[in-house]
Amino acid sequence: MSILSLRNVHKNFGITPIIRGIDLDVEEGEKHAIIGPNGAGKSTLFHLISGRYGVSEGSIAFKGQQIQNKQPYEINRLGLARSFQVTNIFPRLNVFENIRCALLWSEGYKYSFWQLLDRQKRLNEKTEQVIAQIGLEKRAFYPAGELAYAQQRALELGIAVASGAELIMLDEPVAGMSHSEAENAVALIRKITAGKTLIMVEHDMSIVFDLADRISVLVYGEVIATDVPENIRGNSRVQEAYLGEVVSDA
Amino acid sequence: MIKKLTPWIGYGIALLILPQLFDSVLGISLLNQLAIAIVFALSYNMLLGQGGMLSFGHAVYYGLGGFLAVHALIKIEYEEMYFSIIYIPFIGGLSGLIAALFIGSFSTHKAGTVFAMISLGIAELVAASSLILESFFGGEAGISGDRTYGPPFFGIEFFQDSEIYYIAAVWVFIATLFMYLFTKTPAGRLANAVRDNPERAEFIGYSARWVRFISFCASGFFAGIAGGLFALNYEFLTSENLNAVTSGRVLLMAYIGGLGYFIGPIIGAVVLTLMNTLLSNYTELWLLYVGVMFVLTVMFLPRGFAGFIMMHQLAWTQGTLNQLFKPYLITALPAGVFVLATVALIELSHAEETLHFLGMPLNPESAISWSIGLILATAAFYATRRTLPQLRDAWDTANTISEEEGESS
Ligand SMILES: Nc1ncnc2c1ncn2[C@@H]1O[C@H](COP(=O)(O)OP(=O)(O)O)[C@@H](O)[C@H]1O
Ligand SMILES: [Mg+2]
Repeated sequence: MSILSLRNVHKNFGITPIIRGIDLDVEEGEKHAIIGPNGAGKSTLFHLISGRYGVSEGSIAFKGQQIQNKQPYEINRLGLARSFQVTNIFPRLNVFENIRCALLWSEGYKYSFWQLLDRQKRLNEKTEQVIAQIGLEKRAFYPAGELAYAQQRALELGIAVASGAELIMLDEPVAGMSHSEAENAVALIRKITAGKTLIMVEHDMSIVFDLADRISVLVYGEVIATDVPENIRGNSRVQEAYLGEVVSDA
Repeated sequence: MIKKLTPWIGYGIALLILPQLFDSVLGISLLNQLAIAIVFALSYNMLLGQGGMLSFGHAVYYGLGGFLAVHALIKIEYEEMYFSIIYIPFIGGLSGLIAALFIGSFSTHKAGTVFAMISLGIAELVAASSLILESFFGGEAGISGDRTYGPPFFGIEFFQDSEIYYIAAVWVFIATLFMYLFTKTPAGRLANAVRDNPERAEFIGYSARWVRFISFCASGFFAGIAGGLFALNYEFLTSENLNAVTSGRVLLMAYIGGLGYFIGPIIGAVVLTLMNTLLSNYTELWLLYVGVMFVLTVMFLPRGFAGFIMMHQLAWTQGTLNQLFKPYLITALPAGVFVLATVALIELSHAEETLHFLGMPLNPESAISWSIGLILATAAFYATRRTLPQLRDAWDTANTISEEEGESS
């Protein structure tokens, strides 16, 4: 069953069409990679699905519910969490508070102003677990804004996955990392998204072919192919539009 | 646990002991003003420091709380209501809360400039209505009540300001405690998250607007309590209590004290109230000095007095704080002379006849007075500048992370 279905989704900025009629189905439990050249509209597509932008036309269904007109927080509460291509954290809060805030809604605290956070044992244990998973134990009480880049990316990931959402969307999670940092991050992504649905934008083809069950290729705001990795490799349109050199390198 | 409670026990003891130390009429009146200012400034910091909402109209909630509190006093006087006046600040709080519920429902939509401008607009609107709606606000004269009519509280009838002080002290303690605890709740922590990054907050399930709205209402409630304390202490309110000057003053308090620290606004409230009351006894120019202090704080201590104190944390934990004592003193002496000489010059330029400054007669028409002032100020200025390198060196030495600690962290 599809957990996420896009039908004829369009997005224009002013008169410029950026997303030009996308149909896409993401199956429950699959790892779905989105690839495509810079400026193809991958991040914009993420913003449309997660509610940051409204669609110009078309519909998006998540777990059978129409979400194209919903606010980001409503969509998040349905079980969709995401990370950002450009690090987007709470810089003056420390790592622990960043993660704990990301857990609050799913742990049922809502807007409570009558419970003391430090007394919430389960919540704090969960927070510590997530911090251990992303390997930031030693930095737990540092302001997030003062962390090194790779650590901020790990935190970005942690905020996205903390709540245990069913659908996780990661926008270039390892961009800008060194090779070994990227390897760690991929292992981490594999671990924390086990049993969940993952949609990931990624440029590094070895990572994509390694991690993804299916790949969609986005070019100029259109999905020109969606298929399993082997077929994407062999797809002549994809070769032509985008992949050519990269695949022969890999 | 004990460690967490210590500051609170200290705070409580200070609140109780202060009126013994300063038991003059002036002392008690000053303490009452401090109590009011502390609650007001802390409530303001819930908006700006904790929630990232810059308000130019916080006096609206304070003033409305105060006005409703005076109306409650009047009702008690005419026996339309019957309860002890010690609960009056709560009436103020409820009034502030209701006003905040109403105004916050549209003003918290956005933070930043939009919020600031709306707060300014509302402030002007309320200040203008306060002069028009005479039956409620009493026009220019304001309204007054009498706190002595209510049922006595354990025999106390509140004829004395000192009796009010103890009521105020209890309220200040409770209000401070609850405002502190608020910062430890989900809503309080999310206020920080939304302050830092409202967009990301929406992607972890929270409406930034709701988070702001909750802080806004809490802040209005505590501002109203401060207004209620004002009503109890002075027994009258005028439109001045909700105008832009009052809003500006609370912003100054929170800012000078330090927005990033819970205790900052308390420090700011104490410093500004003292300057306000004490300085204004000595000079007509006190507002100028407050203004200069604000500008200097913004320029040199962007994190306020509390931030300045906290800068010494590393040196304190390393035990190198005492190394700073002498260098500070060496800089402070010429700097102090510079400040005094400058103040003397400013007072001279303002004076029409001989004035006495620190026991010295200064005459605005005497070239000698002017020359001495100018020479002293210039000399002290250069002397201060020359001491700065040694202070900087001492600071760096004291704050060098010692070897063992550098590795363990
Ligand atoms: N808010 C916006 N307003 C106008 N144009 C935008 C906006 N966001 C993105 N674009 C444009 O849309 C195109 C796709 O951008 P993006 O989705 O970030 O691409 P990708 O993530 O695939 O590199 C780019 O040409 C970009 O300039
Ligand atoms: Mg992108």
